[in-house]
Amino acid sequence: MENAFEIKNLNLYYGQNHALKNVNMEIRKNAVTAFIGPSGCGKSTLLRCFNRMNDLIPECRIEGEILTETEDVLAKSTNVVDLRTKVGMVFQKPNPFPMSIFENVAYGLRCQGIKDKTALKSSVMESLKKAALWDEVKDRLNENAYKLSGGQQQRLCIARAIAMAPEVILMDEPTSALDPIATAKIEELVQNLKREYTIVIVTHSMQQATRISDDTAFFLMGEVIEKNTTKVLFTIPADKRTEDYITGRFG
Amino acid sequence: MNRKKLRALKDRLLNGVTFLSSGISVVVLSLIFIFVFSRGWNTLNWNWFTNDYWSVNMYLALPEGSQSSYNKPSDLSNTVYYSSKYGFAVTDYIDEQKISQIKIVYIDPSSPLLDASILTNGPDFGKANPIKVNMLVQKFTYMDDVGISHSAGSIIKQNAAQFIDTLETKSISIKSTYVQTIGGGIRGSLIATLLLILLSLLIALPIGIMSAIYINEYASHGKLTPWIRSSIELLTGVPSIIFGLMGMLVLYPITALAGANGTSILLGSLTLSIVLLPTIIRSTEESLKTVPDHFRSASLSLGANMSQTIFKIVLPSAIPGILTGVLLSIGRIIGESAALIYTMGTFINDDPSILKGSTSLAVQIWSVMGGEQPNFQLACAISIVILAIVLFMNISVKFIANSLRKTW
Repeated sequence: MENAFEIKNLNLYYGQNHALKNVNMEIRKNAVTAFIGPSGCGKSTLLRCFNRMNDLIPECRIEGEILTETEDVLAKSTNVVDLRTKVGMVFQKPNPFPMSIFENVAYGLRCQGIKDKTALKSSVMESLKKAALWDEVKDRLNENAYKLSGGQQQRLCIARAIAMAPEVILMDEPTSALDPIATAKIEELVQNLKREYTIVIVTHSMQQATRISDDTAFFLMGEVIEKNTTKVLFTIPADKRTEDYITGRFG
Repeated sequence: MNRKKLRALKDRLLNGVTFLSSGISVVVLSLIFIFVFSRGWNTLNWNWFTNDYWSVNMYLALPEGSQSSYNKPSDLSNTVYYSSKYGFAVTDYIDEQKISQIKIVYIDPSSPLLDASILTNGPDFGKANPIKVNMLVQKFTYMDDVGISHSAGSIIKQNAAQFIDTLETKSISIKSTYVQTIGGGIRGSLIATLLLILLSLLIALPIGIMSAIYINEYASHGKLTPWIRSSIELLTGVPSIIFGLMGMLVLYPITALAGANGTSILLGSLTLSIVLLPTIIRSTEESLKTVPDHFRSASLSLGANMSQTIFKIVLPSAIPGILTGVLLSIGRIIGESAALIYTMGTFINDDPSILKGSTSLAVQIWSVMGGEQPNFQLACAISIVILAIVLFMNISVKFIANSLRKTW
């Protein structure tokens, strides 16, 4: 299968609010897919469907399917804990745990029951290297993660997700709380990571989408208006509303 | 113009009333403190913390022909009187019942007093029972040079100087002695209170923290949760004497299984842990609420399950709040009396153990004031100790809340 996910007829309701309307979409493997659109259009909501984070919201109801090679993510029988080790997530605000840098990265592995110290050490090092953070923190792995700068914290969160050896990394506006230099570093990192992982990124910045993504989906009022390769979507949009949005007429 | 004046007057009047009211509360509080301190201060000393409450009378014999000559130690003060014939020193002492007594303050290492043995008929007759420093002399029966026995000591209204003078000038040997340990101490209640705090927290903390976790983390959107919350709120309003009654009637069979016979520290702890549950649940829940949701999302998104997320991430972040709950609980335990009267008993026990009845410090106040001769001084001294502990707890709560507040 070429695709990491195939979304079929997905409808999502928050109580009475119909938040995602009949979404059909494929997410290509080893590519960066960007979700763009104005606030409240359902980008993050769809992102949170891939690792079932919407389960935490009690009044949320989902219909439809999200198929991977092996299973339907939304099926009741799916083991959510296993799913989340395969589908990692990076949040809007850097949110390391209030513990040391090392423990932050090792946390997921420890939760899986891995206790072997050398295995933990090597996989923490590996993950930090992949997240381009190793050189900056190798001498202070035991320091509290909150001593790092915002950009470093966000890369630590990426390392934390990588440590679980996921297939997909979901990023929910990962640079919205960061300054331009830290943002550039994260963008570069995303480019490098796509060789190994499938990346789905929600972003408010259209420039960012054009810089880093291969595919782009444009959301409006809970509908996917248009989804295409980034090049095509930004140069010859098929829909008038997409054109209006990317040219800055609203949003 | 008139309206303006009226408004200004009203303003000043209301300001004055608020100022006066706060003044009254401060004055009343300080008066209570001053009263308690002035009445109880004199009783406070180190021995008082370690002494038994009940004084023990002892009827002891000294070895035959025990008189010899002992050297007076040089560091004795003017108010201490030394017996060179028997090698001990005494001073005047006013006990907490305001009765003047003679207190032993020094015993020579080779003094015959150390070889005293019990003279009371019974199984302990003849057993060694050395006279110790800080015991009170009731009566020494001595033989004079013509072989007639006489009495000396506070029993014939002698003071320390007269007592020593009598022994030094008239006695040939000492036949028997009545001595008494100093009572009025709080050691028993202090130990019982510590045991009570320890046991109550041991029972109430795990249950309270676990239920707070259930209510806040697992069932925060459940239909029953509001009902559970409001019933816990109700529990805070129940007068503690009702908890005491309930403990006596409902919990007593449980402690009876453990071997307690009647009131016991265990029964008091079980009862108090129920009194404490609402406090612990509330403070734990409050601190769980302050842990940001993004920690929970991050942990779950890494494939941790619910219990791992709670025990590895959420609970450690909630520790300052839980500690606050613990300190508040300790304050509550120390101040509690009504719930303990039926469950832990009112008999002051100098040798407390978990399955026996004893008094906490607060109940000891109730006990010493409840008798035929209320002992104000002792009650006030205990009050000072309780106030000091509670004050210390409150300051620690503030300190901990400030210093452990995390920044994320």
